[in-house]
Amino acid sequence: MAKTERYQNRIELIQGTLDMLILQTLRWGAQHGYGISQTIRAGSGDVLQVETGSLYPALHRLEKQGWIKAEWGVSEHNQRAKYYRLTVAGKKQLAAESDRWNQLSTAIAALMNPGESEGPA
Amino acid sequence: MSWKDVFSRTRRDRELEEELQSHLAMAVRDRMERGEDADTAAQAVRREFGNRALIQETTRDMWGWTWLERLAQDLRYAARGMRRSPGFTAVAVASLALGIGANTAIFSLVDALMLRWLPVHDPQSLLKVKFSGPIESLSYPVVRVLDEQKEIFSGVAGYSGWTFAVGPSGAIRNVRGALVTGSYYETLGLNPTLGRLLAPEDDLPGAPAVAVITHGYWNRQFSRDPAAVGQSLRIGGVPVTIVGVTPPGFSGTNVGEIADITVPIAALPLVKPEAAGLLGPGNSWLRVLARVKDGMSVQQAGARLSAVWPAVSQRAISPAWPLDRKKGVTDAVIEIQPGGTGSTYLRNLFGKPLLVLMGVVALVLLIACANVANLLLARSAARQREMAIRLAIGAGRGRIVRQVLTESALLSMTGATAGVVLAWFSSNFLVHTLSNDQLPIVFDLTPNTHVLAFTAAVAIVTALLFGLAPALQSTALKPNPRRRSFLLPPLVSVQVALSLLLLIGAGLFIRTLRNLENVDPGFRSEGVLLVDLDGRRSADTRELLDTVRRVPGVLAAAISTHTPLSGSTWSDPVAPAGQPLPKKDNALFIGAGPGFFETMRIPLLAGRGFTDHDANVAVVNEEFARRYFAGRNPVGQHLSGRVRGDAADLEIVGIARNTTQRGLRAAPYPAVYVSYFQLKGDVQGTLEIRAAGALSPLAAQVQRAVQSKLPEASIEVRTLSAQVDRTMAQERMMATLAGGFGTLALVLACVGLYGLLNYGVVRRTREIGIRMALGAQRKGVIAAEVKRAVALVAAGIALGLPVAALAAKGIRSMLFGLAPTDPTTLAGAALVLIAAALVAAYIPARRASRVNPITALRHD
Repeated sequence: MAKTERYQNRIELIQGTLDMLILQTLRWGAQHGYGISQTIRAGSGDVLQVETGSLYPALHRLEKQGWIKAEWGVSEHNQRAKYYRLTVAGKKQLAAESDRWNQLSTAIAALMNPGESEGPA
Repeated sequence: MSWKDVFSRTRRDRELEEELQSHLAMAVRDRMERGEDADTAAQAVRREFGNRALIQETTRDMWGWTWLERLAQDLRYAARGMRRSPGFTAVAVASLALGIGANTAIFSLVDALMLRWLPVHDPQSLLKVKFSGPIESLSYPVVRVLDEQKEIFSGVAGYSGWTFAVGPSGAIRNVRGALVTGSYYETLGLNPTLGRLLAPEDDLPGAPAVAVITHGYWNRQFSRDPAAVGQSLRIGGVPVTIVGVTPPGFSGTNVGEIADITVPIAALPLVKPEAAGLLGPGNSWLRVLARVKDGMSVQQAGARLSAVWPAVSQRAISPAWPLDRKKGVTDAVIEIQPGGTGSTYLRNLFGKPLLVLMGVVALVLLIACANVANLLLARSAARQREMAIRLAIGAGRGRIVRQVLTESALLSMTGATAGVVLAWFSSNFLVHTLSNDQLPIVFDLTPNTHVLAFTAAVAIVTALLFGLAPALQSTALKPNPRRRSFLLPPLVSVQVALSLLLLIGAGLFIRTLRNLENVDPGFRSEGVLLVDLDGRRSADTRELLDTVRRVPGVLAAAISTHTPLSGSTWSDPVAPAGQPLPKKDNALFIGAGPGFFETMRIPLLAGRGFTDHDANVAVVNEEFARRYFAGRNPVGQHLSGRVRGDAADLEIVGIARNTTQRGLRAAPYPAVYVSYFQLKGDVQGTLEIRAAGALSPLAAQVQRAVQSKLPEASIEVRTLSAQVDRTMAQERMMATLAGGFGTLALVLACVGLYGLLNYGVVRRTREIGIRMALGAQRKGVIAAEVKRAVALVAAGIALGLPVAALAAKGIRSMLFGLAPTDPTTLAGAALVLIAAALVAAYIPARRASRVNPITALRHD
């Protein structure tokens, strides 16, 4: 029953959006996988829950692309963890994706709420 | 992607495990900090986390496959495919094994004969020194003079292969060795396994006789006993002290010959007094390897040597020589060439034939490639469904091409492996057939890195050759049924053309050998035994001859200085009395004893042969009579000449028929026979013994009879036929190998043709069925199929004939008695090909005619 509940509360992330969110999260410094998922969850007011089944493949995909780099480190609770941080290429990628996202969300917002739309000129 | 990726794979797996584990730990900790108890927290986290194995799996997918894993996957798939169709695999692998094996076999001979460095220190810097011209040998005094030029050369080695008579009286055996100058081993830069190697002091007149033996000889004769050094070998009846053993792997600098015992040249007068004359300036018999001084280039060395040569060469000429002979040495142009691969007479004899054979086996391999490509094309048509499905579910074209090429590579590697084994046996066998007892040819043909690299390269090129077209065709995006076999018929025609080429080559070489065998040598070689006497003139040669004549079964026996086609001849200047003596030697000389012409069955055209009481008489051959006594009867005329350096006046007592002395291909050359017993000094001699009946039992008896008279000599009995045969070794090799490869090519081409037609019949079963249902006769169906075959073969022959005519010009010098475009050979080869092709075509044609219309129409 808990499972059903969770699924109802979750918003399916559009393909590629997770990658952007991860990169965005890492903008402020290196973070481990658990930290990233917690940051996204807290930052979205518990609306976006990143599943581990999506998070780790995404992290490893981003690492292979060369956008993030992984290093083993130790957490504040003395727990060994793998920390990811943005690379220069990753920063560029993030800039490009957030531009695209802004365009897309503005466009979708305009379509969904035609009355309120002023049009971005 | 690299090897590191592959090996780090398990490490990455472990790291992923730890990463997920740390995620779990942190999640549990957070929950516990919010007040949950440990069990509840762990349970909740696990639930949230989901299927851990699946997460690992999908994450791992993100790493991507490394090329090696993909290769392993492709190989597994290819191996499965090969196991599934054993018939196809067997034919393909066998074709490739034969093709690649033939290439490897010939290449390993080329490598052994021409490419391999001598196993000495820094072989690349070894240089060959010779006078300009065809002769590679220099005299002992010339080599000594070269060795004295210390400001040019850091080392000069002169050497010659030699057969030593080794052992105690009555049990003497011939051992192949070499006579070398004192600096030989120093120049080569070898270190002894045991004792010491020869030094310049050993090569001084009066130095104690010493010898160095090879590691192999030490192993065989002394069982690696260290006490061998210091022992004496009895050579030519004289004790010679073994001073050292050469390193393993070294067996002399004459490629293809083993030199188990090396003796300094200065010791030659001790171990073989009658050959002491070789040390003089008049005999050029030593090959020379040298190294120039450090820091000097070969060009500089050559320039300095030619500057000093006119002065220093004075020491290498005899004051008694006529001026032009002196000038031959002092004005000689000295050539310095790379010499690190050693030297061998075998290179002159087999160099070109081996290169021609290299071309032949390359063609065989091309035919084999075409065959496998054929098979693969036919198979790729059958696999079109599979390929279409794989393309449809998203496999990239490149991926499938790679997969198909992997299959080709696996086939070709399997073929290559079998080929290497095949080559090892066949090349050893080949060397064995070329070798003879007198002068065994010894090559180490164990596959070495050169040969294996060559084979690997051939296998890769082969795989690309036969694999690429089928690979591209099978992945063509629009499977077009008409395009499906557009490559097959031309391939078969090319195969036919190539095999025609090889058949014509085989025909030319086989007929050359026939022609040589049919040359009338002017004597009868069958039934004659030969025994070389070691040259020490014994007073009882006549007695020896009598002993031999008394052996039961001996019809006649005689002695002569030279025997036909032995490879050794003697020439001197001679002219009819009263005419000026030519400057250059103009006739072959043969010293022959009484009964010589009868024993050899050389017909006398006029006059008589030699008797026991001859003095200053000669028998001339037809050619001599024709050139110098045109139209006159030479018998009774006198000749004046210089025989072995002495002026001689000879009365002609007979005319003998021409015999081939120097080679079966050589044109008749003037020859003068002089009486063996009137020659002065030490003369080499060979007994000729004509026998009635089987030769081998008689040979043993003759051996015992001669040995009993000459206990100090090594007596070996051989046959004249073998000696004649040996002169055809090159032609026999070409005839045998070209014939073998031609046959192989024919079989491969027929298999290709058969495969193509058979495949066509299978594909057109429905069409044939319809035609038969509509009333076509079985005969008609057969005729139609055979017509297709004939068309393919005709195209191949049309393509092959002009190419063959062109290619045959390149081997003109190797042929004898026929033109490269010999019409009989060309037509014969074409006929053989057509006949074989018809047989290959008949089987599928018959199969076509047996098609049952009912079954055929149900055929999908």
